[in-house]
Amino acid sequence: MSAYITLMTPMTDEECLLAALADVGFDRTKVEVHVSPVSLVGYQGDQRTQTANLVIRRQHVGSASNDVGFLLTPTGYQAFVSGYDHPRFGAGWLERLNQQYQLHAEAKQQRMAEEERQHLEAARKKLVEAQRATICAKAKKLGYQVKETRAGDSIRLVLVKRTY
Amino acid sequence: MQLNLARTLQRSAANGPGERFVIWVQGCPLACPGCWNPDTWTAQPRMLRDTQDLIAEILATEGLTGVTFSGGEPFIQARALTEVAREVRAAGLSVFIFTGFTRAELKSQAARALLAVTDVLVCGRYVASERVYDLPWRSSANQRVHFLTSRHGPADMAQAPEAEIRIGPDGQLTLTGLPGSKLLGSI
Repeated sequence: MSAYITLMTPMTDEECLLAALADVGFDRTKVEVHVSPVSLVGYQGDQRTQTANLVIRRQHVGSASNDVGFLLTPTGYQAFVSGYDHPRFGAGWLERLNQQYQLHAEAKQQRMAEEERQHLEAARKKLVEAQRATICAKAKKLGYQVKETRAGDSIRLVLVKRTY
Repeated sequence: MQLNLARTLQRSAANGPGERFVIWVQGCPLACPGCWNPDTWTAQPRMLRDTQDLIAEILATEGLTGVTFSGGEPFIQARALTEVAREVRAAGLSVFIFTGFTRAELKSQAARALLAVTDVLVCGRYVASERVYDLPWRSSANQRVHFLTSRHGPADMAQAPEAEIRIGPDGQLTLTGLPGSKLLGSI
């Protein structure tokens, strides 16, 4: 039986880790995702004491391999790679995985920042339009004629009532 | 020359005839009770602008009918405003002034020089007890409109808007002109 080696990683985001795993050859069809950690299985079908949230079953790793797993911890995913698989999936592989992870993390951050910006922009436009509609309605109720012009993001409402 | 300004607005239809570049000067010794712009009374420097720089901004603004001086009291900075008025008029724009002084009070050389390059003058103190809502360009009944040239006339008052509201990109509202109390209260 090959013992598991535990390696701490700085990776914390499941979505980005799954994308990084896909980049290094383990797409979603080869990775199990569990909300609650499940036991890893050794090459002889033996259940190990180590548990993980993301599991690459041994048949996807190699013919005599053990499961590779990632356990979510408060400080990041903990990787479990057996001593047998360590030459192929050890520190060097994890380093490459982390590099891919960082690319996805950066892209996700940018995506989220853009989504936040769009959200704020939509809220701003909604506020401006609500103000415009309220003012126009009130002015018209008071008998004003409202002439509206727009310049960029600014709205100008000219209120005319007099007819001399 | 320098001007002490409260603010400027590149385009307004509620401060005189047509589309106007509006300049609110800073500083007014009259301090009329009930004044619409009491923040412009103090003569402490607020926004100092070089006259030539301001003229360049005005002339770069497309589609203007003219320039309006308000305040604050424009005639307190008559010399610098005369320079502005002279140059914008040379470029085809008209000059419109709101002043709290009466016509009879505008006797100084500097005041006369500014009047010489003015097309429309609205003058007189704001008197709260004579507040009116239905006279174009005036807010109290004692105020008078003088057409000093033939550039504008009474016909221009026919469609004078009472007020203009700007909604900025951040939702901030800016109200200018002479809005009636119902409109003010409503908004």
